Amino acid sequence: MIEIKNLYKSFEGQTVLKDISFRFQQGITNLIIGRSGSGKTVLVKSILGLLEIDEGEIWYDEKNFVKISQKERKALRREIGMVFQGGALFDSLSVEANVGFPLEMFTNLTAREKEKRIDFCLDHVNIEKTAYKLFPSEISGGMKKRVAIARAIALNPKYLFCDEPNSGLDPETATIIDRLIQDLTKEFQMTTIINTHDMNSVLEIGESVMFISKGEVWWEGTNKEILKTNNEKLNDFIFANKIYDQMRKDL
Amino acid sequence: MNLFFHIGRYFLLLKRVFGRPEKSRIYLKQLFKEVDNLGVNSVWIVVIISIFIGGIMTIQFAYSMSNPIYPKTLVGLGTRDTLILEFSSTMLALIMAGKIGSNITSEIGTMRVTEQIDSLEIMGINSAGFLILPKIVAVVFIFPFLFIISVFFGLIGGLVTGPVVGVISVTDYLKGIQFLFYPYYVTFSIIKSLFFGFIVASIPAYFGYHVQGGALEVGKASTNAVVNTNIFILLFDLILTRLLLT
Ligand SMILES: Nc1ncnc2c1ncn2[C@@H]1O[C@H](COP(=O)(O)OP(=O)(O)O)[C@@H](O)[C@H]1O
Ligand SMILES: [Mg+2]
Repeated sequence: MIEIKNLYKSFEGQTVLKDISFRFQQGITNLIIGRSGSGKTVLVKSILGLLEIDEGEIWYDEKNFVKISQKERKALRREIGMVFQGGALFDSLSVEANVGFPLEMFTNLTAREKEKRIDFCLDHVNIEKTAYKLFPSEISGGMKKRVAIARAIALNPKYLFCDEPNSGLDPETATIIDRLIQDLTKEFQMTTIINTHDMNSVLEIGESVMFISKGEVWWEGTNKEILKTNNEKLNDFIFANKIYDQMRKDL
Repeated sequence: MNLFFHIGRYFLLLKRVFGRPEKSRIYLKQLFKEVDNLGVNSVWIVVIISIFIGGIMTIQFAYSMSNPIYPKTLVGLGTRDTLILEFSSTMLALIMAGKIGSNITSEIGTMRVTEQIDSLEIMGINSAGFLILPKIVAVVFIFPFLFIISVFFGLIGGLVTGPVVGVISVTDYLKGIQFLFYPYYVTFSIIKSLFFGFIVASIPAYFGYHVQGGALEVGKASTNAVVNTNIFILLFDLILTRLLLT
């Protein structure tokens, strides 16, 4: 569980996040949705401590991230996996070495144990052995995302963050990635936070949804409730795509 | 104002660069990779440039000292001292700023804009130390060797070109390059090259680490890095020459 309370963040006087409070639950996919530029990435980076917040509290279960020491933060980071928008795989390392990197850095596993763990993670995201030696520049966008997910779960994290995990992917691959993240979340009982502006994802895996606009929370609920809402701002966002308007009428 | 901001941020970055490494073994592995990537791959260009410059300098010294009142040994001496004091240390550093420096900025800058640096930070790794320290150590380590290689091949360049063009005999040249030799000049230049190595690695690393934007900004940062590195090389050349050679 991750809980944020009254979080504020601004850049040089320009407020980007305003009084955000939310509880992200364990074992389900928590979505942060909103238009481009609404502050999703800033919110996630603030929760992760990549950006210093102005005010507020961030709780990782019983640990208050804002208050704990630098050393404790580092320790906590070992329990966090992150999938970046573009994958952010290390260009100079092969697929296998990318997944092995956190193991190399933070564990004392033997070569064999490492190999087993890499196999386990890559197998979970359906990457075949033939791709192990390839470099990030040699694989497709969908594969990059899958390898990035494998790397993110390498250390068996309690918390998983995904920034627009299916941006730049075709709809079919995007759905596969969404489901994959959801399955992993259930299997490993992680607290998963996903940033997205993709309505398909919202309907597919939006077990808990938080809608932000201009840095403020405007609505929260589930994908079951989202099509029935009267929230005007949210409707503007959802029904920008006519298909969903039709779906609403059909309901 | 702007300059002070950058200098301040540069030293803050350096402080993080020299922070405690997470796992020394991996840093060491990185170091060997960088020595190979930044150093060994630069040897050829150093050899080629030095041979040409050595040859050209010999011809020019020979022409400007063609008056018989000058002893012939001055040609070799001039070539040698110019190589040691200025070309193989300072000029070579300027050239390496273009090669090694832009390489460092674009590599680190690309890692910044594709969020690979954030990725390291999330894992709890000191990204500045992990990415930059091995580069600085590698470049500082290889620069004296590049200096020695450059002097050696510069002298060879003169030895081959002078007699072939017919401006000086082999014996006069060889006598010249041994004439009035001060070993301190070499010490002085090796000290300079250590400073230049640090500048050539750390300034471009700073520019790369703080890139914001995309591929275009990485390109701009590379150019900026090379220009600034060159300015600081010359500035330190002036300072060190004044301090150590009076
Ligand atoms: N480092 C930064 N400095 C200044 N402004 C920023 C910075 N990062 C993001 N912003 C601003 O914050 C707002 C939200 O951005 P972001 O969180 O990236 O949006 P998105 O919802 O598309 O992920 C934007 O207006 C952006 O310009
Ligand atoms: Mg974003």
